[in-house]
Formats: sequence, structure tokens, C-alpha cells
Amino acid sequence: MQTVTATQLKRKPMTSSAQPDDPDHAAALLALVATEQSRQAFSELFSYFAPRLKAYATRQFGNEQTAMDLVQETMTNVWNKAHLFKPDRGSASTWIFTIARNIRFDFLRKNKHRQHDLSADELWPVLAEQNDSLDDDYALDDDLLMQQLAGYCELLPKAQRIVIELIYVEGKSQQEVADALGIPLGTVKSRTRLALQKLRELIHSDD
Amino acid sequence: MIKFHPNEEHLFHYVTGDLSPAMLMMVGTHVDMCPHCQTQVRDMENTVANKLFGQEQAPKELFAANDSFNGDAMLQQIMSQTPARDESRITGLLADELVLEGKRFKLPATLARSQHRIGEWHKLIGQMWRAPVQIGGEDVLTFIYMDKGTRVPEHTHKGREATLVVNGVFNDETAEYRDGDFVFLDGSVKHTPETRDEDCLTLAALDAPMQFTSGLSRLLNPFSSLFFK
Ligand SMILES: [Zn+2]
Repeated sequence: MQTVTATQLKRKPMTSSAQPDDPDHAAALLALVATEQSRQAFSELFSYFAPRLKAYATRQFGNEQTAMDLVQETMTNVWNKAHLFKPDRGSASTWIFTIARNIRFDFLRKNKHRQHDLSADELWPVLAEQNDSLDDDYALDDDLLMQQLAGYCELLPKAQRIVIELIYVEGKSQQEVADALGIPLGTVKSRTRLALQKLRELIHSDD
Repeated sequence: MIKFHPNEEHLFHYVTGDLSPAMLMMVGTHVDMCPHCQTQVRDMENTVANKLFGQEQAPKELFAANDSFNGDAMLQQIMSQTPARDESRITGLLADELVLEGKRFKLPATLARSQHRIGEWHKLIGQMWRAPVQIGGEDVLTFIYMDKGTRVPEHTHKGREATLVVNGVFNDETAEYRDGDFVFLDGSVKHTPETRDEDCLTLAALDAPMQFTSGLSRLLNPFSSLFFK
């Protein structure tokens, strides 16, 4: 199989039928935002999460403008800090929730202008650039991560590898893959899921 | 092995950010020290995230909240920024030691991140010391250090008291508390903490001054504000 490199992972729009509430798919989208600022991937995340964030923020603040500010600040962090998402720590939606939780915490204190007020990132260092503990050396360089991923792809069963390649390298939708290979859509979905699961295990076994 | 944990409600409100600053620091520090509660916290974060962002969220509410939501403009504005990694924010190891009376204590991550908030140490009575942790908010967060063989006069609290053992061991009438143990008392409980063969560094959150209740130590009540502020 050809090597999956960051540069190859762009091109065709990623219009797979998976929704961002599928944890593996959402994590893959975040990885694309992190490695190459994929607008396609970010737009997909945005259209799924922004309205849900707005609903959350509206409940919390009861104020339209503040709610919009929270959505904007949260999604801006997703755009700028996607490289800080660590799939081994939890799902993409959990990560986005913790970002929103922190922003809400700071918003609630911002207008009081009190000295000494605790800031959210002291309590929950969700967006700290550093590893907060020494045993966590998971923060791999992106290129290294991509190379490693390519290596792991070689270890997948051939049927799964082909599906992953078509979806994540060539940017085909799951339906297109099913048509191209002449197999049912359900089979494409299950192969994708199994492959992503396997990749995750391989990454973790290397810790 | 940690025996005493924050209750589920404390953990949940730590996850959502709905406790007082002092209690958030207390629970966060316990979580740093407690693998069991770390798992709980992650599970709760996942649960809340699924609830907020799950596919099954009622569409009606979504539409209502997004009537006038101009998502496109926001999306374009965000993507017009070039993500830049702020390498300067990559800091090295945190200074995570507290030095008191020549002894060194390792601070859990939450406290290490807030180390600049730790005020000066003052001697209370006997071999007890305290240092405030200035975090804003109404309630009070304070370190209390007891040398070995120290007893706090019996007292109650008008409000609630949470105590976390950062390092060492202390006892009261009901149990022995060691590193990581988290004790939450409401105003009705009288207790007499003491150290025996070991010293003890604790973190305490109080939402009202202590009231000393027994014999001569009632004389301490005028000084109870020392514990409080
Ligand atoms: Zn615990």
C-alpha cells in the first residue's frame, strides 16, 4: 500500500456518510484539522457541534449574545488547538464539552473583575500545550504520528486497509467505496469501524 | 489506598464547573491523587458530552436555539485565522514543591498550577500553621499544617468544612485519614482532629468560621477568624 502522508490526506472532500457523533469519525476530522487545517473537516465539525453548543450556552446564560460568544470561542479553540486533542483521553465530543465548560466558567467570572479569581485552565488544563504529567509522552509530532499511522495501516487486514485508504486518503464517501468495491454499505461501515478500532489499539500498544 | 472520596454530587459538579472555587480546588486536588475518581470524572465527562452533543437531542430545542444563528459567517470568520502554535506556552515542569519548616511537600497538579496563589504561612497555636490560597469567591481555601502530636481543640462549623490530606496522616473521633482522603463535614458534626506520630499537611475549604465548643478552648473563639481568613 502507498504511504499515507499528511499531504495525501487532503484533496477530495470527505463526504462519508458517517456523522460527527460517531467518535471515530469525529476524531478523524479533528486529526485533519490538526495536521492540515482541513476546512472541509472543520466545516463538518462546525455544522454538527455549533448548534448543539448554542443550545447548551443558551440554557446556561439565557442570553443570546453571550451564548453566541461561547459558541465562537469554543469553535475557535477547536480550529486552533485541534492538535491538543488526544484520542486516548476521551472522545472528540468530550473534548469539545470540556473546552466549552472552561469558557463558561471564565465567562461567569469575567464581569466581576475580582482580583485573584481562579481561571478555568488552572482547574482543568484542557488546552495546556504541555503534558501535565511525565508519564504522558503521547504528544507526538504530527509528522511522526502520520508516519506511524501509515506504518500501522500496513498491519491491517487487506480488506480493511483498502477501505481506510479509499476513505481517508482518497476522500471517498462510504457509499462511493461500497459502489467501487461492489460490497454493501454496511460492510464498508463495519470495516471502517474495525480498522479504526485496530489502529487505536496499535497506537496505544506502543505507549 | 484512599478510603474517603468526594461524593458523586461533588464529582459531577466538579465536571460541570458548578461548585465554589474553593470546592473545585479541593475536588480537583483529590482527583489528581485518586485514580478511582479520575475514572469517575472521565465517565461523567463522557456522559455529559453525550447528553449535550448526542444525535438524539430534541430537534425542536435545537431549532429554537438556532433561529437566528448565522453559523456561516461565524464559520468563515473562524477559518480565516491561521492556527498558530504558541510554542511559548509550552512550559517545562511545574514547580511543584512546597517548603515549610525545612520540610518539602510535593504538590498535586491542581495545586502546583495555582502555586502563585499560596500566601504566607502563619503560626496558629501550638505546632499548627496555616497559609491561605487566594482564589476569589466567598468561601475560603487554606492549607493547614500540623506537626506530629498536635491536637486541634474540639470545634464545629456553622457552615461546612471539607478537608483533604495532601501529605501525612491525622485522626479524629471516627477515623484515620491519609494522603488523598477527602472529608466533608456539615455544621452539625463536632470533631477533634489530631496528629500522632506523623505530621500532616491538609487543604481545607470552609464556608464559615469554626466554633470551638469545649472548655477552655472556647476562649479561642475570638481567634477563630484566624482559621477562617
Ligand atoms: Zn477518590
